[in-house]
Amino acid sequence: MMNKNVENKSSYHVTKKDLTWASLRFNWICVNLFNYESQLGPSLVWSMAPLLRKIYPKDSDYQASLKNHFNYFNTTPYLANIVLGTTVAMEEKDGIKALPTVQSFKTSIMGPLAGIGDTIFWVLWPTIMGSIAGYMALQGNPLGAIIWFLVNILFNVMKVWLYHVGYSSGTRLIDTLGDKINTFTEAASVMGVTVIGALVATVVKVSVPYVFKFGKVSMNIQTDILDKIMPALLPALFTFFIYKLLDNKKWTPTKIIFLVILIALGGTFLGIFKA
Amino acid sequence: MEILQDILIIILAGYMTMDEDGIVLLTYFPVIVGLATGLIMGDLHTAMVVAGTFQLMMLGVAALGGASVPNYGLATIVGAFVAIRTGTGLKTAIAVGIPVGLLAIQLEVLRRIIANFVAHKMQSLNEEKKWKQMLRWGYAGPVLCFVETALPTAIVVLVGPAAIKMILKFIPTWITDGLTVAGGLLPVVGIAMLLHYMPVKKFLPFLVAGFVLAAFIKIPIIGIALLGLAAAYWYFNSEIDKNKYSKNQAVAKNDTTGEDYDE
Repeated sequence: MMNKNVENKSSYHVTKKDLTWASLRFNWICVNLFNYESQLGPSLVWSMAPLLRKIYPKDSDYQASLKNHFNYFNTTPYLANIVLGTTVAMEEKDGIKALPTVQSFKTSIMGPLAGIGDTIFWVLWPTIMGSIAGYMALQGNPLGAIIWFLVNILFNVMKVWLYHVGYSSGTRLIDTLGDKINTFTEAASVMGVTVIGALVATVVKVSVPYVFKFGKVSMNIQTDILDKIMPALLPALFTFFIYKLLDNKKWTPTKIIFLVILIALGGTFLGIFKA
Repeated sequence: MEILQDILIIILAGYMTMDEDGIVLLTYFPVIVGLATGLIMGDLHTAMVVAGTFQLMMLGVAALGGASVPNYGLATIVGAFVAIRTGTGLKTAIAVGIPVGLLAIQLEVLRRIIANFVAHKMQSLNEEKKWKQMLRWGYAGPVLCFVETALPTAIVVLVGPAAIKMILKFIPTWITDGLTVAGGLLPVVGIAMLLHYMPVKKFLPFLVAGFVLAAFIKIPIIGIALLGLAAAYWYFNSEIDKNKYSKNQAVAKNDTTGEDYDE
């Protein structure tokens, strides 16, 4: 028994350089190998293989570990690094005996992490930064874009750091931060929802400058009727309509995009909308 | 000079997808792609105006969990390229960019289906213990990404903006105008998706507040974002305090029961 244990345990000590390299490999390949079946699985294998080879000198162990990482995995790339760093720590400590734990850890954590990560990094951040940089760009000002680019560099530093954090504190981190991270996501949502409210009024542009004529009286639908009721009335109604439409599973976002284009084309043809 | 620009634009388009699905430095955000396009084409102003338009269109249209969405980054590159090369401005950029961005959805789906075969190939190479070869196959991912957007861009660049200008001449104005109107309307899809994704019902007052501040008081978006930040700060602290309070109470309760047992 003792001998077997010694064989399973790796004698290799993972260095900081190993972790940084594995992290950079993952950041680079990431969704590039995304497929509909195992999603990020192959990317995990490709990014970790050199490091795992060092941990597992024995061919069959190495093969088993890779096979395990080929399994379905998907979460927000920004936060996946924590998970990967942790699995490296587990496999370094216990070798292939850790594989079932690694697998269940990965599947249990990817959902909650995606919930937090998608909200912050895919939805809130691009929405807030995008609306600010987008408006600057409309005036030909590249400043917002430059700031965004610089922040992206910082994000990559953060991703490498998270790999190290995942390795050194592992599961403990996610457990202890648990409550606070949820509250943080909620607080970020408060900011996000406020900005979305503003976006409905400013980003959606639809107006009906159609002029009714009754004898000598002429009425512009937009300025004489709609704007008198409430500014940005049509954008608000239109947003609500699409929001409700999305409830229907048959209406995928792509279909709705085509619908909106058709409405715009039809409306312009009939002279209701104007470019 | 023009040939060099053509080549750089095709490379930029190909790299964009590798970057978008990888290290995310430069891209998938139209404004940053637009900045690069503007630098290559030597007309920052036009490129930024095109990029800003597409940026606002894609707000909230996030590719969550690997979903496929219109490629507004590609729309920006192709649109800005044609607009600058032909000198026809924003309308052309939208008329060319939107169809290309929509076409790219299908190409992305196709690429990810092909990636499925790559994954299987890598898995069987692992079974055969041919690991060097397995890692080499991994490069198929970035290559496929590059081709996905470089190919349609190359077609636009090679067929030539002049041809596109000709085609646009034959298209009735209600179509180009209609696409411009669609450009103003399309952000609605992203925003509606955001509303579905966010806990809107829970935070409805903030949605209304944001809308009123923008529509009635006309505060610029940065100002509203700052007010949102203030609200978020307040919310975070009050929630943490609440948690602490309820935890303390629970502890206090335990303490008293403990004392009861002692007595």
